[in-house]
Amino acid sequence: MIIVFGILGLMVAVAFNTTRLTAADVSSRTGDLAAVVAEMETQREELTVQVAAQREELQQLERSAATAAGEQESFGAEVELTRESAGLTDVAGPGVVVTLTDAKVVPPGEDGNRYIIHDFDISAMVNALLAGGAEAVDVNGQRVVATTAIRCAGTTILVNQTRLGAPYVVTAIGDAQKLTTAVQEDLVAGELLGAYRLQYGLDVKLEKKSNLSVPAYTGGLRPQYVSPVEGE
Amino acid sequence: MFVLILALAVGVLAGLLLRIGVPAPLITYLGVAILAALDSCLGGVRAALERTFSDRVFVFGFISNTLMAAFIVFVGERIGVRELYLAAVVAFGVRLFNNLGIVRRLMFQRRGWE
Repeated sequence: MIIVFGILGLMVAVAFNTTRLTAADVSSRTGDLAAVVAEMETQREELTVQVAAQREELQQLERSAATAAGEQESFGAEVELTRESAGLTDVAGPGVVVTLTDAKVVPPGEDGNRYIIHDFDISAMVNALLAGGAEAVDVNGQRVVATTAIRCAGTTILVNQTRLGAPYVVTAIGDAQKLTTAVQEDLVAGELLGAYRLQYGLDVKLEKKSNLSVPAYTGGLRPQYVSPVEGE
Repeated sequence: MFVLILALAVGVLAGLLLRIGVPAPLITYLGVAILAALDSCLGGVRAALERTFSDRVFVFGFISNTLMAAFIVFVGERIGVRELYLAAVVAFGVRLFNNLGIVRRLMFQRRGWE
């Protein structure tokens, strides 16, 4: 009987431990992860500034190298062109601005998911603009480059691994008329501007502008796995 | 009686010092098993006071009660009636207070307070 009472006590203590440990575990883990994310984001900010500074320096070096050797002027121009088309420079020009905002009200009993802007809406819009001949595109200041991914992360959308929130402003530089037509004719992007906007109250606007600017890509661009194929 | 309380305290202390826990999804099993064990222990005290206490009946009752309680929880989870464990909780709860009442009366009688 004494042993059995001991076992009972042990069981009670184990149960107590379990409830206490799990409760503490969950809350502290959430806090820890939030702190890690915040720290990583500050770190990335710092690194982005560094990258920008070093790119500036590199550009100057390239320029001086090109002018020092007069014959290599064409090389300098080619480098400049490559940088521009890769999205590493701030650019300006005419184009369109598409603003996508979630619906203001979700009617009771309706699926709220239909009333918000999703990652695939943004990517459809960007695709349509690129298909329409956009030469530079950014989403909330995040330049779309060859390695850009647009995806969903909880209640935010990640572009270039940066968290963005609504409203999403997609700026595209190109022939404004062509871009507008491309968006209107695109299956998904066109619906966003038309049917979805009317049906769900999504606030999607497309404006033609004569002078727009799109910032440079600020993320890292160091290829780890690719190497050029020799012999052309 | 004092020895029993001491044993209980030693068990609690050992559990706290060892800092062992069970995986979170199994907490219901443990909770119901504790109720079953508590019921058995109180039943044992009652039997001792009634002079009908038997080691074998007590230990076997303790083990079978605990296992049966865990089994009910398991079955409830498998057949989608997760609330089935409430049946065990209610049954053991009622018996617990029932036994407690009898133990109290027996102890009062023995001391001549009644």
